[in-house]
Amino acid sequence: MTDSTYEARVITLPVERTLTAARRRAAEAATRQVAPLGGGIGGVDDWGRDPSLVKLSARLGRLRWRTVVGGQQQLPTRAGALIVVNSRHYALSAVWAAIALGEATGRTVRFAGRSDVAPIGALARRLGGLLSRPDEVAGALRAGELVVMGAAPVFHPRRVGRVDHRLVGAAVATQTAVFPAATASSPLGRGARVEVGPAARSRRRRRGPLTELELADQVERRIGQLLDELGGTQTGTPLDWLPLSGMGGS
Amino acid sequence: MGGDLGSRVAERLEQESWVGSLMGIDVDPPRRRLHRSEFHLMAPTEHDRIVDTITAFDPHVVVHISVWEPYSRATPGLARRLTDDAATSILGAAAECRALESVVVRSGIEVYGRARGAPTRPDEAADVAPTSDYGRMLAGIETTAAAIGARIGVAVSAIRMGTVLGPHVPSPLGRLLRMPAVPFSVLADPPFAVAEDIEVAKAFVEAARRRLAEPVNVVANGAITTLQALRRGRRVPVPLLGPDWRIAQLVSGLFGAPIPDHVLELLHRGRLADNSRMEELVGFRPRATTGEVIDRLYAWPTVIRIPAREQVA
Repeated sequence: MTDSTYEARVITLPVERTLTAARRRAAEAATRQVAPLGGGIGGVDDWGRDPSLVKLSARLGRLRWRTVVGGQQQLPTRAGALIVVNSRHYALSAVWAAIALGEATGRTVRFAGRSDVAPIGALARRLGGLLSRPDEVAGALRAGELVVMGAAPVFHPRRVGRVDHRLVGAAVATQTAVFPAATASSPLGRGARVEVGPAARSRRRRRGPLTELELADQVERRIGQLLDELGGTQTGTPLDWLPLSGMGGS
Repeated sequence: MGGDLGSRVAERLEQESWVGSLMGIDVDPPRRRLHRSEFHLMAPTEHDRIVDTITAFDPHVVVHISVWEPYSRATPGLARRLTDDAATSILGAAAECRALESVVVRSGIEVYGRARGAPTRPDEAADVAPTSDYGRMLAGIETTAAAIGARIGVAVSAIRMGTVLGPHVPSPLGRLLRMPAVPFSVLADPPFAVAEDIEVAKAFVEAARRRLAEPVNVVANGAITTLQALRRGRRVPVPLLGPDWRIAQLVSGLFGAPIPDHVLELLHRGRLADNSRMEELVGFRPRATTGEVIDRLYAWPTVIRIPAREQVA
């Protein structure tokens, strides 16, 4: 049997060993002091998303919303896909839908439309935010990522704003599927829902940019249909009986 | 061929069967043992000598690595001047060579810039819009090389590499991260990616072998933020907000790790690049992740200065 530490023991004097041990103890003590300063912060991925922060946000989100996700089985298990959701002003629908879909599918889901100004932009980036740029979205789709983008925000919960055809064009360029998805939430209750529809496909084969324009229009219509199928949200109050909007009463 | 990256590339090229004779020019002698390379010690300002030497050699491939990163080995002003001189002399001389088939130049992901709204993870097709001195220097080299390539009809490729960190590479970022206390942007703490010297050298050799005619991003996989890097290195993070960065720059400079504007930009805005085309363009995927490269940065032994036992002078 060979003793691998023999040489080290023979040529290291006792005083030297004591000094080495003292140095090691000092280094460990310094480590113990420094490590907690950044404790609890995980690594980031290629785009700067921090999975531990996303998990924490999902946990916090569950305190407010009880989100039901439907139709997620239609999403690809490995390939990239663009998911377009309806968006309400100040509702952060895309962020919330990305987190909910990430929880439901077990895949990394990003969202397009983050700000590029710190600290909001930096926080959104940690949550998986991408800039609303076709090249940025195309890069993520090419890498096989799921990306959620919001239609133009509107105040009405049952209406859909314009879908940015430039971002849909990123999906066309990378030959990834585009899925319409409807989001609905109750302003007073805890109920919230994300319903993913089947992938939208261009009816006509086009050679030029009409492909993305027609696809964006089609996605917009399909989200509207999905919202109609959801039937609106219920507040649980007499407001539901008033013919105000999509808040019920139909 | 004198710098760490240059001698590493030369060492790899010597092992390639397709490489016949190999000649290098630098202001410093090679840092590695080279067996069949011919080396010429010349300053970038010796324009006529450089032109004569290169035209006499008449190369098929020119690999231009002579770039001085600000505050790596020279102050920003001197770095700019040396880089410009070297690019003018070497690329200008290469254009006179009849046998020339391909030019590979050193560039960096700093050429994409980090202006507000710029792509987070630009690919090779993204616009070149530098926002730092170093980025502009590199973009200038790419423009010069592309103009020469278009004029004489040879393939020109740019290796757009992330910040190179390696045991002997003089890097202002590496030096800063190894300080005992390091500043970081508390509001943003953006992610960045780095590159390993070995993989960058391999990319240069592959680009030369394939006569690559387009730019390629060479960065390690993954990303890391400054705070996360400091945690890995057990350094004390110093959170900064805004105006105090000026003081931090000054203090860091006094302690031997000056912060150039492109490193400051990295600390504030991050620096990532899409490396998904590496396999297609240079035939390999980076093996090391950014986290691993950072770990190695901290694993390098510190220089221990041992005082003389007896003062003789």
